Amino acid sequence: MSRVKVFFNSSVNSKIVASLAGLGLTGFAIFHMLGNLQVFEGSDAINGYASILRDMPILLWTARMGLLIVAGLHIGLVIRLALRNRQGRPVAYAVRRYRAASVASRTMVLTGSLLLFFIIFHLLHLTAGLIDASAPDGLDIQGRVDVYGKIIHAFRNPLYVGIYFVGQLALGLHLSHAISSGLQTLGIEHAALNRLFKLAGSGIALFVVLGNLSIIFAVFLGLIRA
Amino acid sequence: MLVAGRKRRGGYRRIVKLTLRIWRQRGPNERGGLVTYQVDDISPDMSFLEMLDALNQQLIMAGEEPVAFEHDCREGICGSCSLVIDGVPHGPDRGVTTCQLYMRRFADGKTITIEPWRARAFPIVKDLVVDRRALDRIMQAGGYISVNTGGAVDGNTLLIGKEEAETAMDAASCIGCGACVAACKNASAMLFVAAKVAHLATLPQGKPERTRRVMAMVQAMDREGFGSCGNQYECEAVCPKNISVRFIALLNREYLRAGILGTKMPAQSDPPHGESY
Repeated sequence: MSRVKVFFNSSVNSKIVASLAGLGLTGFAIFHMLGNLQVFEGSDAINGYASILRDMPILLWTARMGLLIVAGLHIGLVIRLALRNRQGRPVAYAVRRYRAASVASRTMVLTGSLLLFFIIFHLLHLTAGLIDASAPDGLDIQGRVDVYGKIIHAFRNPLYVGIYFVGQLALGLHLSHAISSGLQTLGIEHAALNRLFKLAGSGIALFVVLGNLSIIFAVFLGLIRA
Repeated sequence: MLVAGRKRRGGYRRIVKLTLRIWRQRGPNERGGLVTYQVDDISPDMSFLEMLDALNQQLIMAGEEPVAFEHDCREGICGSCSLVIDGVPHGPDRGVTTCQLYMRRFADGKTITIEPWRARAFPIVKDLVVDRRALDRIMQAGGYISVNTGGAVDGNTLLIGKEEAETAMDAASCIGCGACVAACKNASAMLFVAAKVAHLATLPQGKPERTRRVMAMVQAMDREGFGSCGNQYECEAVCPKNISVRFIALLNREYLRAGILGTKMPAQSDPPHGESY
């Protein structure tokens, strides 16, 4: 136990583990978005995809537990680091001017917290179905859970579109700093590839957010119908 | 030449009047605050520190306590001068220390706020002077190489590649002023430690203690109460020696490598040649 404590007392070790966990979560966000894009293929594709996942309960729940542990580790370590960082400068500057820090990098705590609330909301809303009582929880013609119907119902409502839009904004900002920052923390830098690593942050953030938003707005604007 | 000529022939000399808001604090445990001063008759050719000298003359003449600030070489190489000027360590110019900042950079009638480096690890001694010995203690933890004394080694006995020499020199140009800490949102000393670790890890002389060094220096950094790096790169933007944040990635790599290899030998072995103690 004391070895673990000694390990995590090092700020660099904590950062390395937090960034590995964060990059793992980013990987999940990418695949989650790609899986959801099957909404555009129609109800059969997305309901089939959902039922494949549900038909493998051991794999599904292992993945869910894994994600929970990784997310918990990331959040726990980052909160610990942020609290320690706050102690680094007890007296603030009267005048402070930033030169290099991006908006995304300066709002990591804010976007991270928003993201946590959004993820909890999202799980309660679309995974557990506890938020919206009027949501259809029926089965489709083939007897599978009608995920397609749920999505259509949710994003017709401007309230949910608004909440998900803010959530995606937070996700985009968080990822745009997180990915390149995580690579730097892991010591992954290279004279020739550094521009690519920097672009990877905003590039992947934009990719995930635009993918997710395309679903939300396609439903809201009536491009995808029940 | 143009400036000199203009001064003489034109018969005028631009004189700058400034309002200064300076952090005054009598001692480490006293309460401090920003005090406003007026200075006029400031030549644009004065350095920022000379401007403060002029202010101090004015204060001494008025029987007041002069402003304490640190300085030594006044040519940008010693790392003594500090000062956060209008929210930027070492002021608005890039790649220079405060002593190399000139008053021509400021418009007439401007208000300038001058604060000390602010970090838990840099407690204020007086006014604008902070105690930066935390950086020395990090150096004592591992920022050195162990060599036997004796006659100087012949030049080029130990061959070092051009690239390695250049990289090591870039890192070694760190003067330890602490601007990186002052600029960092988290008051992190990562750029400083990275420069020192990179400097020695790149050269053959630094290799024997490479693993132990990075562990010890990061541990010392954490112990001193510096924050951790958030990769915002404010440090690089204010560094008077333009030290690259690529060295922070190198430090992270060195630390990962040391963590994986470990600092101890794999197993306790018998003493050599069957000696017994």
